[in-house]
Amino acid sequence: MSVAEPAVFELRDVTYRYHQVKALDCLCLAIEPGNRVALLGANGSGKSTLLRILDGLCFPQEGSVRFCGQPLSEETLARDGFGFRRRVGLVFQNPDVQLFSPTVFDELAFGPLQLRWPATEIRRRVSETLDLMEIAHLRDRSPHHLSMGEKKRVALASILVLDPEILLLDEPTAALDPKSESHMIDFLVRAKGGAKTIVTATHDLDIAEDIADTCCVFQEGRVAAVGPPSQILSNIPLLEQTSLLHSHLHMHKSGAVHAHPHLHRHEH
Amino acid sequence: MHIPDGYLSPSTCAVLYGGALPFWCIALRRVKSLFHTRLIPLISVFAAFAFVIMMFNVPIPGGTTAHAVGVGIATVVLGPWASMLSISAALFLQALFFGDGGLTTLGANCFNMAVIGSLAAYLVYHLLARRAAITASRRVVAAAIAGYVAINASALCAAIELGLQPLLFKNAAGAPLYAPYPLSISVPAMMIGHLTFAGLAELVITGGVVAYLQRANPILLARAAPDARLAESEVLEAARRDTARTIRSLWTAIALLLVLTPLGILAAGAAWGEWSAKDFSNPAARAQIMAVSEHAAPPAQTPRGLARLSRVWTAPFPNYSPSFVRRRAFGYMLSAMFGVGVIILISLFTSWLTARIRPGPGEAETEEA
Amino acid sequence: MPAGSRQTRSFIERTAAALVDALEHAFYAEELARAPGFLQQLDPRIKLLGILALMITVVAVRSLKVIAGLFLVALIIAALSQVPLRSLLKRVWIAVLLFTGVIALPALFVTPGRVVGRLPALGWTITAQGLTSAGFLVARAETAATLCVLLILTTPWAQVLKALRVLKTPVVLVTILGMTYRYLFLLLETARDMFESRRSRLVGKLNSSERRRVAASSAGVLMSKSFDLSSEVYSAMLSRGFHGEVYALDEFESRPFDWIMLGACALVIAAAFWLGG
Repeated sequence: MSVAEPAVFELRDVTYRYHQVKALDCLCLAIEPGNRVALLGANGSGKSTLLRILDGLCFPQEGSVRFCGQPLSEETLARDGFGFRRRVGLVFQNPDVQLFSPTVFDELAFGPLQLRWPATEIRRRVSETLDLMEIAHLRDRSPHHLSMGEKKRVALASILVLDPEILLLDEPTAALDPKSESHMIDFLVRAKGGAKTIVTATHDLDIAEDIADTCCVFQEGRVAAVGPPSQILSNIPLLEQTSLLHSHLHMHKSGAVHAHPHLHRHEH
Repeated sequence: MHIPDGYLSPSTCAVLYGGALPFWCIALRRVKSLFHTRLIPLISVFAAFAFVIMMFNVPIPGGTTAHAVGVGIATVVLGPWASMLSISAALFLQALFFGDGGLTTLGANCFNMAVIGSLAAYLVYHLLARRAAITASRRVVAAAIAGYVAINASALCAAIELGLQPLLFKNAAGAPLYAPYPLSISVPAMMIGHLTFAGLAELVITGGVVAYLQRANPILLARAAPDARLAESEVLEAARRDTARTIRSLWTAIALLLVLTPLGILAAGAAWGEWSAKDFSNPAARAQIMAVSEHAAPPAQTPRGLARLSRVWTAPFPNYSPSFVRRRAFGYMLSAMFGVGVIILISLFTSWLTARIRPGPGEAETEEA
Repeated sequence: MPAGSRQTRSFIERTAAALVDALEHAFYAEELARAPGFLQQLDPRIKLLGILALMITVVAVRSLKVIAGLFLVALIIAALSQVPLRSLLKRVWIAVLLFTGVIALPALFVTPGRVVGRLPALGWTITAQGLTSAGFLVARAETAATLCVLLILTTPWAQVLKALRVLKTPVVLVTILGMTYRYLFLLLETARDMFESRRSRLVGKLNSSERRRVAASSAGVLMSKSFDLSSEVYSAMLSRGFHGEVYALDEFESRPFDWIMLGACALVIAAAFWLGG
């Protein structure tokens, strides 16, 4: 990676308040091109808010956000919104809010239509993406007839259809059954070859190693630690302190009871 | 109150589509200027909400349940214009998927419930809740009454549209081609049901939801109440943007006229049960019918209909048509039902009012009657 | 006041049942829309236009025989489209008869005109005009409702929306309708779950005012959720480049068959008006 290339996102002293409650508190963070970042944190640690700021959906009350060296604000986005919307895509945690169109086909076509692509190009891209995500058989289905796993896949497809350089994912494996979850992880691992920048917010430590080169641990709106997955995931005191990990009492076959750190796979 | 297909003549339907159309256009423009790009998801989700509310069985005082329309709460939270669009969308889907109300009569149903309902609810709520704090119990009472008045204004419009059908549309033998009952039957029959059951359901839902939101989510209530004394000011970005205050006051005046015209007829007709053919042969009453039929029938049809009026009109109510014993009995029945309805209502209202005054604010809307 | 507990359960159960019923009804419609049949194969635009025109005809003609004829046409279309008559009977005919029939009944007695009969016990007289009038009301309501149900049972909702757009309905309105339908299901499910969990928690008796409080707070919760949902959907739309305008991709091919059917429909309507206009 060349030194001259600016960071995709650079946040300086970003503070975001949500009705007097600080969701982000003097946050500093830089995300380099092609990097895959996992934002780790318990619920309410501010990682969803950060994703929204990165996607230009809300803007911090204090501090500055730069996108590829340019300031990202309501005004700059209004001036040149489409370049940004084309290049950055956010997959929401709740697929129901993202699937608002009458059919899966319409859902995938929504983004391209908003960006005024030509009709033949839209049709080609949509069917390509349907095949890529293995959801071609759902093409004419209504979103409310889909299972949770299918919904999440369609939601991801509705973003991938635009082929964004930067992919923001909010809890991509939450509320998925094991099969859908491994399918989702497979996809995210495969995406490594695509040289995309991927930012994933999750509290699922199991997937962090597969989907990220860098882990950012969040606590109360601040970055508590940054480092490669191997280093962060072995730092048990840090994980316990940030509520990503806690000790459970276990009864083993021998009858001995002992406590050991326990990774969390599922949302509570 | 959802008028099905076949109850209104095509010309009445066309006129009422025409009546609703300008309101839809204005509403679309107003909502766009208020909510900007938020318009589509906001209206859609609240239309879905109104649809679900229409399926609620609302327990009303007296142990039975009834269905509300949701126009009261939609107006209180979203304002009259967004409410108009949401309720109209909900009515369209109801007609299409569940056969609740017809497609040819969709214009009429939207005009009655979405347009008149929203405007009536807005006027009442803003008159009564004027400058009250968002969490004031006055807002609960204002909302409840607004819902109640809205439903009854809608029902009255529907009753008048239905009641005009037999006056205007008959075959050669004199058989009504559409809704068969004249105003003297359709108005009291509709109003009994709505002054009591349906009106109370709307009253309970509107007042109850406002009381709930005051505790749980006061910000929602502040959106459409720019005159409220507020703690939270940041939520008002939308409501504050009042670009066309003059247009609004103009439309408020028109709305007032629309609501008052049918009410005026009733006032002129003396007591409900005493409405008679004689009233309709006198020029003043005719003029009022004419005023209403501007919304309900094409002008070309009106003179013929009115000329026929005195001939075909036979009041089913007591004392006026001694030759029709059978209809007198029916009239007695209707009058009695209506009288009972009014009495129930007054007693409910007074007991509700006294209960309200005693235990203090906030619980009024759910007090046992 | 009647006993509390039974009343309480029945109020919550009735509401939940209505919601589930609504869901199932809609699912049934989408299922049938995929069956191979006459109406299912028609171009949605032509189907929409044709059926709306037939409905207006039903409302406009002034002859009972002609309305009966149009009802027959609707029956034939239903049979060709594999719409089971039993489901029409259950969903449409009986429901409409119960509602409109009850409303039309007093018209037999109160409509002035030629006396043709007398009710034994009460002595009320039935008039010919009353009979005709009640007949018109019931026949029109039944026929129009049948046609509307045929349209919706044989057309996927997305196709109805597309047809509306092609027929020059403003895109913003069509988008609102589509999204309303979409989130209707989400809110129906939310409301149903809310009532079900409430029912499972209920052990004691609720009096009438508490029941009203339950209904109102359920509606209030639903309203708060609706608002959050609409803000989230808005963000999701913004994120994909939405800036207030919506665009659509419409593709319809009509074959000669569609135009022939439109012609047939026009012929039926012309005949109806000629015979009973």
